[in-house]
Amino acid sequence: MKDIIQIKNISFNYPDQPLLFDKLSMDVHEGEWTAIIGQNGSGKSTLARLIDGLIVLKSGQIVVDGLTVNDENIFEIRNKIGMVFQNPEDQFVGATVEDDVAFGLENRQVPREEMHRIVEKSLRQVGMWEFRDRIPANLSGGQKQRVAIAGIVALSPKIIILDEATSMLDPRGRQEILSLVNEIKKQNKLTVISITHDIDEAAGADWVIVVNNGAIVEEDKPDNIFGDIEKLESIGLSAPFTSQLMTALKARGIDSHSQYLNDERLITWIKKLISTK
Amino acid sequence: MSNFLFGRYLPGKSWVHQMSPQSKLMLSFYFVIVIFFANNVWTYASLSVLILIVVVMSGVSIGYFLKGIRPLIWLIIFTVLLQILFSSGGHVYWHFGPFSVSDTSLINGGYIFVRFLLIIMISTVLTLTTTPLAIADGVQTVLKPLKKVHFPVDTLALMLSIALRFVPTLMDEMETILNAQRSRGVDFGSGSLKHRIQAAVPLLVPLFTGAINHAENLSTAMEARGFTDSEHRSKYRVYRWQRKDTISWVAFLLVGVLVLFIRNN
Amino acid sequence: MDQEINFNQVTHTYQVNTPFAQDALDNVSVTIAPGSFTAIIGHTGSGKSTLVQHINALLKPTTGEIAVYGRTINPNTTNKNLKQLRKHVGMVFQFPEKQLFEETVIKDIMFGPKNYGVSEQDARRDAEDAMKLVGLDENLSEKSPFDLSGGQMRRVAIAGVLAMKPQILILDEPTAGLDPRGHKEIMDLAQELHDQQHMTIILVTHQMDDVVDYASDVIVMDQGKIVKHGNPQEIFSNPQWVYSMHLDLPSSAEFATRLVDEGVPLRHTPLTIEKLADEIAQLVQGGQEHE
Repeated sequence: MKDIIQIKNISFNYPDQPLLFDKLSMDVHEGEWTAIIGQNGSGKSTLARLIDGLIVLKSGQIVVDGLTVNDENIFEIRNKIGMVFQNPEDQFVGATVEDDVAFGLENRQVPREEMHRIVEKSLRQVGMWEFRDRIPANLSGGQKQRVAIAGIVALSPKIIILDEATSMLDPRGRQEILSLVNEIKKQNKLTVISITHDIDEAAGADWVIVVNNGAIVEEDKPDNIFGDIEKLESIGLSAPFTSQLMTALKARGIDSHSQYLNDERLITWIKKLISTK
Repeated sequence: MSNFLFGRYLPGKSWVHQMSPQSKLMLSFYFVIVIFFANNVWTYASLSVLILIVVVMSGVSIGYFLKGIRPLIWLIIFTVLLQILFSSGGHVYWHFGPFSVSDTSLINGGYIFVRFLLIIMISTVLTLTTTPLAIADGVQTVLKPLKKVHFPVDTLALMLSIALRFVPTLMDEMETILNAQRSRGVDFGSGSLKHRIQAAVPLLVPLFTGAINHAENLSTAMEARGFTDSEHRSKYRVYRWQRKDTISWVAFLLVGVLVLFIRNN
Repeated sequence: MDQEINFNQVTHTYQVNTPFAQDALDNVSVTIAPGSFTAIIGHTGSGKSTLVQHINALLKPTTGEIAVYGRTINPNTTNKNLKQLRKHVGMVFQFPEKQLFEETVIKDIMFGPKNYGVSEQDARRDAEDAMKLVGLDENLSEKSPFDLSGGQMRRVAIAGVLAMKPQILILDEPTAGLDPRGHKEIMDLAQELHDQQHMTIILVTHQMDDVVDYASDVIVMDQGKIVKHGNPQEIFSNPQWVYSMHLDLPSSAEFATRLVDEGVPLRHTPLTIEKLADEIAQLVQGGQEHE
């Protein structure tokens, strides 16, 4: 599988602070949902900003879809990447929903007629077309994130980066945004990078990268990451619900002999246990 | 939840809503200038009639305008009192030291009051019927000629639009900070002047810090969305000159001429 | 029982006489027992925050009255003489780190006690105690709160409320935006304050697992009304009803309903992982013994 993002030996520090990343390397596979997890302050949001060229590397190289992130390529790279940030309030530039979706298009000097067509299509895709006249003060956090996603869809990027995009939403809003991104990923054949400390969200990813103190602790399929509850807790994270239930069952002498099962497989296994008792 | 209405656009489809923002902006400026030419009952009356027609055509209930006055009430009272106590001439009813109240000063005080009312009403109509973005676009259109002398018109318009868009956000934040500090025992708005100034620090520091955070995050988000400079952008919205604009201009110009005729020279 | 919190037919209308007017509280009557750990749940906009802001008179009722800590708050209550009340009712707002303003951590925490007339010396002692409670290292006390991490700033803010030694502590989504470790530490702190300091804790939350793990009482709000008040078991016993309130079930209960949908004959709706594991184990092992 093609690596759409290659991070090679990067080092970075904020001014007057020790190195956050020291020769870090990782790749992101095209078309997959990659979750980067770690506790607050582990450096995962900084990583997102480096990929989008919003802050500058000290050394090393980041390649996005064949282009090295540098001053020359920066705008082409930002055409390929859409970012949804943590605070819904702070990425809403436009005065109304439709103006906000148009913001990115205006920056790229898209002609007006085309803009109107794209804005409508994007807002319909995220289910916010009825709200196009609303001002941000009259929207919920989840609705603002939907608008942010419409603003990204409008630019038809190849990659969406969710930078803790759901951490300020209530559980329902979080679920809705995640399923929306999933749907858009499928329809538009996107690569998704989700930076999060929500373990249940990461459990649904294709690939999980665990970051702690600026270093990669582990990267693997969710199955191989989420078996080890103690390890996750030692770096400030928690285990997914199913792992916790499996541990509780094991304590009662019911052992699946597998490391990790997601919801569906755990349900299937429990059903089998009961029917073959 | 804030009662302060500035920057709170009320969606609608009224005549005034549909006018182009540059017209509304220019007419508001024009109207304020005309107000300063008014100097007798008839001129103030004709301007009041005009503004009442505008209010009716904006479809916004009168309660909003009264609310718009509330935050300014002390300024108004102070200015009116100043006018009443210090203007001279006419039949003196009462005087004490440098203060005096006469029929002229009462009338002048009344005029000042009406003047305030008119200015508040026209600006309230403007902000309630025009989205912040449209106001910014209006400014941009009005200032376009300045581009020739390399004045950053587009940047100014974008800054204005973003500033206006964040007014409700910052208002809500202020409310929360006020409540949080009240819960920690701060008594806002009571005690000596020194005490009041001291009480403002726990409000202003967090508000300022918050605003800086918003600004930093917003600039990152704008950059991520491909923003480079405000001069090289296409425009999603255009505001075409409409018949409604022409009619409004004619009406306003006529009233202006009328004021010039009937004012005391 | 003058320490209980008692709402008597309280209605609160925002922006009376404008098109934005809305009943945020609609004829609410409820009693919150002293020493309870009460969770208030309801979807966004259901009136949770409005309800709790009446307890320390930040909002006054449009009609009705609230009795709290021997004080009565009614529509005519003025902003005078509320200090005693507010000292007893500590209020931690959402993202409380936004209220920090002093040059040093210790000064910020001392701010509340000093407003209530505590001497400099005592305020410092109370602040140091509060820092210990929330687990802030004492060598942070002379640092600027703005140089701390997000999680630490939140503790400073909470310590600033605890330093006033309130008897009632209101927490409005205190863990929003925190990572799992930070989340657990704040919730464990709430439990400690409840168990050891005997504070009445009122928790506004969207996290149903926290409701189950920490609360003894639950108030469910919908459209400005209290629609249910009971213990977690009573609240979550009917999954359909919970969903109709636009709320979620605790993870274990949610997983259990999925098992039931798949034909696994669970007898109860378990609220915790341990209970769920018990139920499953009973079906698997208990069955073997009988056959």
